[in-house]
Formats: sequence, structure tokens, C-alpha cells
Amino acid sequence: TEMAPTVTRSQPNRAYLGCSGTGASCPGCASHKSPSTAKSETYISLSQVLDENGKDVTPRPVYQPDPAAVQSKHSKIFASDTSGGTMSDFYSTTYQTTTNASFAGAFTRSLFGSGSVSIGSQSIMESMSEEIEDPSSKRDNSISLSDVQVKREEVKELIQEEMLDDMVDLYLVESDTLCLLDMPAISVSVDSMEAESVKERNSRYTELCKNRTGNDKYMGRSMQTFNGASKTKEVQSEAITMADAATIANNWDMYDSFCSAGQGEVDLSTDTDKAMSSSSSRMEMEPFVVPSESKPDPELILQSEEFQQHLFVMERIILENIYQPKLAAYRQLPTLEGMVLLKCWNHVTEQLSKQKRLRREESSLDEEGPPTPALERLWSFSCELTTGRNVSSMAWNKRNPDLLAVGYGQFAFKDQKPGLVCCWSLKNPSWPERIFTCQSGVTALDFSASSASMLAVGMHDGTIATYNVQSREKTPVIDSSDCVHKHTSPVWQVRWINHERALSGEDKGEALISVSADGRISKWFLRKGLDCIDLMKLKRTRNDRFKRQVGEKERKSEALISRQAPGLCFDFHPTDSNIYLAGTEEGHIHKCSCSYNEQFLETYQAHKGPLYRITWSPFCSDVFLSCSSDWTIQLWRQDLFTPVLGFMSTQRAVYDVMWSPKWATVFGAVNEGRMEIWDLGASILDPTIVNPASPGVKLTSLLFATETDCVLVGDSDGQVSVYQLKNFTAGEGTQDVSILQPPMRLVKSMSADRRRLGLFWFYIENKNV
Amino acid sequence: MCAEVEETLKRIQTHKGVIGTIVVNAEGIPIRTTLDNSTTVQYAGLLHQLTMKARSTVRDIDPQNDLTFLRIRSKKHEIMVAPDKEYMLIVIQNPSE
Repeated sequence: TEMAPTVTRSQPNRAYLGCSGTGASCPGCASHKSPSTAKSETYISLSQVLDENGKDVTPRPVYQPDPAAVQSKHSKIFASDTSGGTMSDFYSTTYQTTTNASFAGAFTRSLFGSGSVSIGSQSIMESMSEEIEDPSSKRDNSISLSDVQVKREEVKELIQEEMLDDMVDLYLVESDTLCLLDMPAISVSVDSMEAESVKERNSRYTELCKNRTGNDKYMGRSMQTFNGASKTKEVQSEAITMADAATIANNWDMYDSFCSAGQGEVDLSTDTDKAMSSSSSRMEMEPFVVPSESKPDPELILQSEEFQQHLFVMERIILENIYQPKLAAYRQLPTLEGMVLLKCWNHVTEQLSKQKRLRREESSLDEEGPPTPALERLWSFSCELTTGRNVSSMAWNKRNPDLLAVGYGQFAFKDQKPGLVCCWSLKNPSWPERIFTCQSGVTALDFSASSASMLAVGMHDGTIATYNVQSREKTPVIDSSDCVHKHTSPVWQVRWINHERALSGEDKGEALISVSADGRISKWFLRKGLDCIDLMKLKRTRNDRFKRQVGEKERKSEALISRQAPGLCFDFHPTDSNIYLAGTEEGHIHKCSCSYNEQFLETYQAHKGPLYRITWSPFCSDVFLSCSSDWTIQLWRQDLFTPVLGFMSTQRAVYDVMWSPKWATVFGAVNEGRMEIWDLGASILDPTIVNPASPGVKLTSLLFATETDCVLVGDSDGQVSVYQLKNFTAGEGTQDVSILQPPMRLVKSMSADRRRLGLFWFYIENKNV
Repeated sequence: MCAEVEETLKRIQTHKGVIGTIVVNAEGIPIRTTLDNSTTVQYAGLLHQLTMKARSTVRDIDPQNDLTFLRIRSKKHEIMVAPDKEYMLIVIQNPSE
């Protein structure tokens, strides 16, 4: 029989759950009690479906939490029992009510894979639709699937962390054999046991076939199989949104994940595969990690260490931009700017009129000869903290030649205010790296050579303190205010001296020596606190020479206020650290030895006023310079008791003098009004370069830079200006110390004819050459 | 500690030639700035991308290395960037002023 292609509903062997058709269109439908109830039934409950034999063929939901769900067998029951149009409409509407595309996606495959639509599937959809409309359950389902996976992985991790060091026993067992496909062979081997029976069967069959043709036992019949009418069904799903995700595994990305996965220090090259796998496993985990870190507070950022460090570096870079030409000039690098006009300083410009000076400048530019030495001001170290303070001393750090310590303190007794020590770095001329405030004015500074971050400071009230410039502490490491033998008057100079030879059982090494206005030169050491011993007490010596000159009867010795002469400066011999020179307020220079602390070895008397500085020449070990407030600088030789040369250029007290570390015949001097550079190889009468101070400002200290041709000048306004010496041609024969000899011989020969030398040699006139 | 930071920031802003100083956090929100908001946001956004690229370049060559400072010199200004994980410090200076 043939099946009608149309749908008939009166067939008894059809089981159906219900239909969406109305009662009119489906007359035999048992489920049409009433349209509404039928519909509600279909929506609400999944009733039992029984076929004619009473077998329960209730379609079970395809979707179950267990992924290995059993597919229900629709095809057996449901022929094309549906009215094409309405059912499909219903399906599509049901479908469209669902919002979960992926959920339905799983469905479509199973349900609509075959071309036939079945009521059972409709019922499934209906039953599922209620679940679909509950979005949370859906989501739970989807999450639970992957949740399970997560849990498994998490558990694995926990184990790893806790029991890393345990011995883990692994047992390898053979699992059950799962048969996935079994295709038994249709041929049998001749040797097998069944061969005989198979052969027999085969032979019987061939016999049968032979007998079949004319036999009455066999009759041919024809059969027809039922072909169910096929029906096309369209379905529309929501657009599956696709998102592209891409990542580039950089070299450093892999390195980062490798390091943070805690795999330890293994070579990158050998373990890139491992790193990749670990990173990929981490990628899977990422969507489930809830970001728990809070955003850092802006205030916290501003206060963090890294921010401070970055600000520090940034400031230095900005300043480098600003000061780059000057710093390059300091370092004697070729600068990028064009020709710099030479300002020719002539030592007599003060006396010439302006026109004359201009003419002289022009002529000096025109001439072919070597350009005259000049000073160029590069920059100055100053900030708002230091304005108004008097620069009293400067010292370079012995290990880092870019670090400068400047002490600020007033010289005079009456305008004392708290002192300041600033450590400046070349990289930041606008703000010091370290600022130390001291209770009284700073008068002396020195960096230690053995421990390069120790800075010794001598103050106006006699205190000596040492600071550690490496730390950010504002207080001194040690202070001498508790010491019994501390100085009671301003400490005018401190120096770290390296004694190579141990004296009287004392430790070798560096010691701090200080000289103070109470007439003592003390050596400080650390023994249960800072303590000192006196190397020398500077006794007052009367000026015997003058007395003899007068030739009168001996006057009674004057009543002295104190038996000790205030010491103002000292300098140790560059090679023999036992011998040192000390200058006093009386104008005497005493040569002393560390071995004798009662007597001076020699006394040099020439100055008429307090000596502000004594310095040995770094090149010629017999020669030293002294400067004092009697407007003169004297050049001495160790074995002569009268100065070999004297220099006077203005009628101002000379505050500081220093030999150039580079040229043997060059030294710099600072008096109140100007700074002078003398080159004895060029002229012994006049300074080679003169730089007047700004009006109202007194220059107080001078320091040569060790590695470049620069001079630092401190003034009473708190500025330390850096000048570069240009076109200084004393470079030829710098180390040739014999240059110093001719001037001395010259003077010796000329001293007889004093008038030619004029006023400059008035202090030599009494000397017998 | 905080006072020193404030002081240093103020000093930086008053140095010669400095046009502006910007501190932005990791999301590009300005914490401190001396320029107007639109300029700040523009600088922060553009420089963030550039810094990422620069850091990626440095680390690609040697993963153990990292970017510490970035300076871009143009005809008119110099832009200096100190990058960090949580913030970015940007200073614009006109060095020839």
C-alpha cells in the first residue's frame, strides 16, 4: 500500500503529544480537549506518550547535563504527522523565543540533522523552552560544563602547591579495552575450527541456489518499503557572532610568563616550549580569575620610591639640557656652538678708559699672536638656601671628582648665624644633593680619602663634626661637642692626613687634624667617642728681629692676653707626612714635626698680618706659598728664612691662595675684590688673569678643579662660580719644576738693586742675601 | 617624604624652558598636570602607545632588559618620559630657550 503524502491524523498507531492546530484543523486529535488547555499542556508538562502497544515512547530530552546523553529515537514514531505550515511556524516562533543561540545551536544539530521534523522534537522544544526562558539555569548549565573542568584543574594545582616535595607514586595500569568498532570478518581462514561448518553452509547455499530456479518451494514475491514523505524544514538561527582574538607571543612575553610561573632559573633557549605551554594553560585560566587588585591610589603613586627616583633623574636630565654647553666646556669636550668671542681681560683695564680698552681688544683680536689667557664664567652653584651666606670653604670629594662640598659660615664674630654645608653635584647646579644645617657657622671642610663619604666639618664655635654624605641623614655621624679637649675657638682648618708611619704606637692610617684659634693643632681619633690629642700648641713668639733693629734697650715683655697664638691654617708636606707648616694670627709660619709637640723646627717671619693660607707646591716639594691679610702673597723655599718672591697686586687682604694642580708655575689667589691667576713663568709682577668680583660681593675662597682647567670661586653672597681657564699656555713644561728656579735666582741677583723692583719688595730690604 | 616630592616637582616646573609637567596613572587619568586637560589627555594617550612600543622593542631584543627612560627631541621641544607600571611622568621642555 502506498502512503498518502498528505497527513492523516486518524491513524491509530500514531502517538502524538499534541498539536498546535486548532480543533477544527485537526479533528481526530485526541489531545484537542480545548485549544487553550492543549497549548498550555504542551507548554507546561511533558506528558507520557504511548504508542498503540502501550510502550512508553516518551521522548527524553536530548539535552542533559551529562554530555553523554542518549539520543531519543524519534524517527520510529513520528512520521510526517504535522501540518507543514503551522508546525514550522510554531517551531520558528519557539525558536525565536529562545535567546540562547549557543544552547539552541547544540540542539539544532541533534534535532534537525535529519530532514524530518517530528512532533516529539517539538515537544522537546516546548519542554526546553521553559527552561530556556529561565536564563539563569541556562547559564548555569553552560557554566557548569566548563566549571567542572575548572574545578578539576584547580584541584590539580592545589595538590601541586602543597605537596611539592612529596614522593608521588604513579601506578600504570592497563585500562579496559573499549571497542569502538567491530567489523567481524566475513571470511574465515581454512585452518580455523569453524572452517568445516562454514564450508558446509556455503555448499548448502550453493545447492539451494541451484535448486531454486525450477523449484516449487520457492516463490518470488515483491515488496515495497514505505517511504515516508519528506518535508523540508527551514530554520533560522540568530547570527553567530564571531570575534577575532589574536595575540603576538613576543620574546619578552614568553620570558615574563616563564619567570612568573615560577619555573626557576633555567635557560630560556631550552625551555621555550615549556614556557609556551605554561603560558597557554594560563590563558585558559584567565577568564575565570577575578581581578582582585585595586587601582593604586594617586596619592600613593606620588609618594612611592620609584616616583621620587624618576623625579630625581628627570630633574637631572632637564638641567643637563639647560647646562649642556657649559658642562661640555667643563669637561673640555668640543662644544657645538659657534665661535665664542674672547673677552680679553687685561690686568690694567681698570686704569684705562673705555675707548682705550675697546681699541686694545680690537688690536689683540687682530694680531696674529697667541690669544691671551682669559676666564670664561660657566655657571654658578647657588640656590635660595645659600643666598646671603658667606662661602667659607670648599672641598672636592676624593673619589668622585664631580662632588663638591661647600661650607657656609661668616668669618666675623659679630654676625654669626647657623651654618650650612651643601654637597653639590655637577649634574645639578641648581639644587644641592645634600643639605646639612649646623648650629654654628662652618669654617672648614675636608673629605676623607680613605672612606670617601666622610666629610669633616669645623665650625665657628670650635665643634668638629663628621657627616656621612651617602646617607640621607641630616645629623652628623659624630660630633666633638662632648669631648673634653674640644676646641674653644673657631676651627679654621681641618684636614684628613694619611700617616704612613705610625707615631708612638698610634694606628696607621688616616687621622683628622684641625687647627683652631685657641692655638692648638689637634689630632682627632675615635676611641670610645671622639677624642683628640694636641700635636702642637702654638706659642706666641715675639718679634725678635724688630727688636734688634731698633737696637734700643730691651723693652719689658708685653703682657700677653694668652700665651698661645691663634692658628689659622696649616698644611702637611706632600711627601713627608711628619712635617707640617702652621700659620698664626701673628703672621708667623712655623714648621713643625709630629714627633715634637713642644718646639717648632723653624719659624718663618715675614707677614705682618694674620696668615690665611699656607700651601705646599704639589710639584716642587721645597716650595710653599702663603697669603695673608697684609695684601701680599709670599713664595718661600724651605731652607730660606726670607721669602723668595712676594706678590702684591691690590691693597686688599688675600683670603685664599691655591697652587694649580696642573701647572707648576700657576697659582690662583682671591682677595676681597677680585680673583687673580698668576703664572710665574709669564710674569712675576702681575697676575696673568684678573677677574673682578661683582659689586657688593666679596670673594672669599678659591678651589682649582683637579681634572679640568676650571677654577671655582666662592663669594660672600653664597654663590660658587665656576670659571674656565681659556688659552692658558702655561702647559708647556708644566711638570718642569726648574721653571721655579730661574725666578728665584733672578730675585737674588736683583735684590741688591731694590729700587728697580719698587714697592713690591719692601719686606726684603732688611734681608741679607 | 611627601614634602620632598612636592618640592622636587615644583622645582622641575620652574626650571628654564620647561613647558609642562604631567603625571598620569596607568589608565591615562592625569594625577598632576600643569597643562590644560585636552592637551594632557592627548599627550598621555599618544605617549602611552609610544612607550609601549618602545618597551616592546627593548625587551624583544633582550627580555631581561627593560625601558627606563624615553626622550624625544623635536624641532621645537624635547619630550621626556619616565615610564613605570603604575604611572608615567612626562616633561616637555624647550631646551633652546
